[in-house]
Amino acid sequence: MAVSEVYVLGGYQTDFSRNWTKENKHFSALMRECVEGALERCEIAPEEVQSAHVGNFAAELYCKQGHLGAFFTEVHPSFSGLPTSRHEAACASGSIALLAAAAEIEAGRYGLQAVVGIEQMKTVSPAQGGEFLGTAAWFADEAQGVEFPFPKLFGRLGDEYDERYGLDDAHLAEISRINYENAQRNPNAQTRHWYMNAEHAKSRGDDNPVVGGRIRVSDCSQVTDGAACVFLASRDYAKKFARGAGLKLSELPRIKGWGHNTARLRFADKISESRGQRYVLPHVRSTIESAMRRAGIADVNGIDGIETHDCFTTSEYMAIDHFGITAPGESWKAVEEGWIAADGRHPINPSGGLIGAGHPVGATGVRQMLDAFLQVTGRAGDYQVEGARNFQTLNIGGSGTTSVSFVVGR
Amino acid sequence: MTLLSSRKIERVVVLGANGTMGYGSAALFTRAVPRVCFLARSREKAGQGLAAAIRQVRSQSLASRATVGSYDADLDAEVQQADWVFEALAEDFALKKQIFDRVEKARRGDSIVATVSSGLSISALAEGRSESFRRNFLGLHLFNPPNVIAGCELIAGRDTHPGVVDFTEAFARARLGREVVRCADTPAFAGNRVGFKVLNEAVQLAERHGPLLVDRLIGPYTGRSLPPLATIDLVGWDVHRAIVENIYQNAPDEAHETLRLPDSMSRLCESGTLGDKSGGGFFKQQDGSRLVLDLATGEYAPESEIALPPLDFIDEVARLHSQGRYREGLAVFLAAQGEWAECARRVIAGYIAYALARVGEVCERLSDLDRIMATGFNWAPPGALVDWMGPGAALRLVENSGLEAPALLREAARDAQGARLFRESHINIGKFFVAG
Repeated sequence: MAVSEVYVLGGYQTDFSRNWTKENKHFSALMRECVEGALERCEIAPEEVQSAHVGNFAAELYCKQGHLGAFFTEVHPSFSGLPTSRHEAACASGSIALLAAAAEIEAGRYGLQAVVGIEQMKTVSPAQGGEFLGTAAWFADEAQGVEFPFPKLFGRLGDEYDERYGLDDAHLAEISRINYENAQRNPNAQTRHWYMNAEHAKSRGDDNPVVGGRIRVSDCSQVTDGAACVFLASRDYAKKFARGAGLKLSELPRIKGWGHNTARLRFADKISESRGQRYVLPHVRSTIESAMRRAGIADVNGIDGIETHDCFTTSEYMAIDHFGITAPGESWKAVEEGWIAADGRHPINPSGGLIGAGHPVGATGVRQMLDAFLQVTGRAGDYQVEGARNFQTLNIGGSGTTSVSFVVGR
Repeated sequence: MTLLSSRKIERVVVLGANGTMGYGSAALFTRAVPRVCFLARSREKAGQGLAAAIRQVRSQSLASRATVGSYDADLDAEVQQADWVFEALAEDFALKKQIFDRVEKARRGDSIVATVSSGLSISALAEGRSESFRRNFLGLHLFNPPNVIAGCELIAGRDTHPGVVDFTEAFARARLGREVVRCADTPAFAGNRVGFKVLNEAVQLAERHGPLLVDRLIGPYTGRSLPPLATIDLVGWDVHRAIVENIYQNAPDEAHETLRLPDSMSRLCESGTLGDKSGGGFFKQQDGSRLVLDLATGEYAPESEIALPPLDFIDEVARLHSQGRYREGLAVFLAAQGEWAECARRVIAGYIAYALARVGEVCERLSDLDRIMATGFNWAPPGALVDWMGPGAALRLVENSGLEAPALLREAARDAQGARLFRESHINIGKFFVAG
C-alpha cells in the first residue's frame, strides 16, 4: 500500500526567554498561546484540525498536571471531541509526538494534525529541576542522590571521546560560543541578549562554574519555559492548503525521511555496547542514517543545515561526526575550520540550538521541526541559511537513549 | 559594500562610565567591540564603572576588552583614536555641552558621537559645533539597564548625516542586538513621552487614592510587568521629575494636565525621597514587610493596615490571563462596573489615545511606538491593545473616558476588513498580561 506523504504546513513557537511562572500563568496558557499563534500564523481555521499530539516530558513533576492531550481541547471550542494524545520520551518527547502524528497521516487516518511540544520548567528550583531531569536516566542507578545528574552523564560522553580519540575542551567552548552567537539572531531565543564570548566560554571559575565533570555552565543548554506547534498534513490536505495560500504543492516542505532508535537506558551500558565500534553512540548514527536513507540523500553533503540536540556541548560534538561531517573522532576539525558556523559548509543550529535558543524539554523536537520548516521555506529571518532546501533534525532523549531524526525539505 | 562594513567600529570611548547608564552601555559595547575605554572624572571612578560592568554581565572576560582612564589624563588621546564616542553623563544640558567642547577638539572628523540622553534635544546639543560634528552626532537612547532592556531609540539631529543614522541603526541591531526605533527629536522622544504620561497620571491618582490602590488598579493585569508607581520607585523620582517637567514645559499637548507633576511629589523629592535608591519612594521595604507612602503627610503605613475596596473584576481578569485567555480578560475589564474599574479604564484609554495621537509627531509609524513600549517599557503595546479589545471597543473606551479619539483609532474602527494595527510578529503579546 502506498503511504501518503507528510507535509509540514508551518507553525509557531513561543518566545523562549519568557518565565511563565513569573507571569503567574498556568500551563494551559502556554498551550493556548502556542496553538492560537500557530493557527493564526498558518491561517488555518480551528475547525480544520482533525487530531492533536502533545509531546511533553514531565508536567506531572513540574506542574502537577497530567493528561496533557486533553488540554488541547481547552484551546478552542471546536477542539472539543478531537482525538488527542500525549507522548513522552524524555527530551525526545516532541519528536515522538511528530512521529505518531506522521504515522497516522501515512496510514490515511487524518488529513491535518496539530503537534504541540511543551514544557514549563521554571516552576521549581534548579536543583529540584535537575532531579526531575534525572528521571530521564535510570533514576535509581544514575541519578538518585546526584546533584545535576545530566551534566555529569554528558561529561562522561566527553570523557569517552577523550579516551578514544582525544578531546580538547576549547572545541567544546567554541561550540558553545557559536550557539550563543547564532541565538542573537533568533528573536525567540532565550539567550539572545545574554553576555557571551570566546573567553567567557573557555573560562572556568565563579562566572562559569563546573557543574559536572568537564561540563561548565556555558556547556549546558538552558532551563526553559516554552512551546512549539506545527501542523502536519496529508497530500490531499496539503494540496487544498497550497491552493488557499496561492502556492504550488511542490513549494510546501514535507518530511522526506525519519529515523528512530532507542538504545539501552544506562549510559554505561550504551558505552560498553559501542566499545570497539567506530561511533561512540551507534544507535544515534543509525537514526541519522535512516532518516537520510529514507529521504534518498546519500550523505550530509545533501543536507543544507542541521538542527541538532546540543543539550550539552559534548552532545553536539558527538553529533558532528555522527552526522558524517567528519570521520569518527574528528569533530574538532569541523569546529576549527568553521564548517558548523551559520555561514559554514555544514551549519549546525542556526537557531542557537538548545544552548542558545533554549531547551523546554518536551518542546525541543517540535521546535527543531519548526526551524527546519522555516529554513527550507526561506522564512527564518535573520538566522536564515541561504538557499536551504533540505534540513535535518536530531532530537535525543536521555543520555543518547531515544534518538529521532527528520529530514525536511521541498 | 554592506552598510555594516561601511565603517569599522574597533574603539569606543564611553564618557561618564561610572554612572549606571555609562557602565551599562560600555558593557553592551564590549559585546561587539574589541576595545572599549571607560572614562570618568578620575581613573578610580572609571575603574569602579568597569567593576560594576563586570558584575552586571557576570563575566570577567569583559575586562580583556576594556581600558579605564580620566577625562584630564586620557580624554584627548582616547577620543582621538575612537571610532565612536558615547556620552553618558548626567542628564544636564550644560554639563553635556562642556564635555562635547572637549570631544570636538579631540575627535577625528569621521568618528560617530552619540549621546544616551533620554530626552534632551539632539539638535540643541549639537548647535554651534563644526559641520563634521553635527553630521556625525546623534542620540542613541538606551533604557536602563542597557545590556538587559533591548529597546532603544535612535534620534537624528537636524544636521545628522542620513548615512550615520543608517549605520548606527544597523550596528545597534546586528552587533548590539538592540530593537532600534527611530524617533523624532521631540521632548523625551517617543517611549518616555508616552510612558511617563501614564506614570505621572498614576502619581496624580495616588495623591487622591493612595499608592497601593493605584498600583493595583493599573497593575500587571493591564499589560505591564511592573505597576506604575513601583516603576517610578525603580527608575528614581528625580528621573521621573526631570522627564515629566521636560514634557510639561516643552511639549504642551492635549494631555498637558496629566503631565503636571503633583506638588506633593515635588516636595518629597526635594527632601530626598528618590525611590528605591534613597531607601524608599511610594513603597518601602522594612523588616520584611512593605510600607506604603501617604503623599500628603510623607508618612509610611504598613501595607497590611491599608484597606482596599473590593476589586473582583481584577481577580477575574487575572484568572483569565492566567489561562492565556487575554481577549476575554480585556472584555471583562471593559465591561466591569463601578468607579474603580472606570478609574483604571480612564488611564488605559489615556495611554491608547495619547500614544496613537503621537504617531507622526514623535515617530513615523504606530509600529515604532508599539515596539518601544513593548521592548523599552515592557508594556503591552497600544496597537496590540486596540487589536485585542477590538477597534470598536477601544474607540468606545476612549470616547467614554471623555478623551478625543485619535484619527488612527477612528480609522481602525471604520476598517471593515479589520486589519491589525500591531504587526510585530517577533513580539509575544501575551507576556505583557501578567496575571495578578
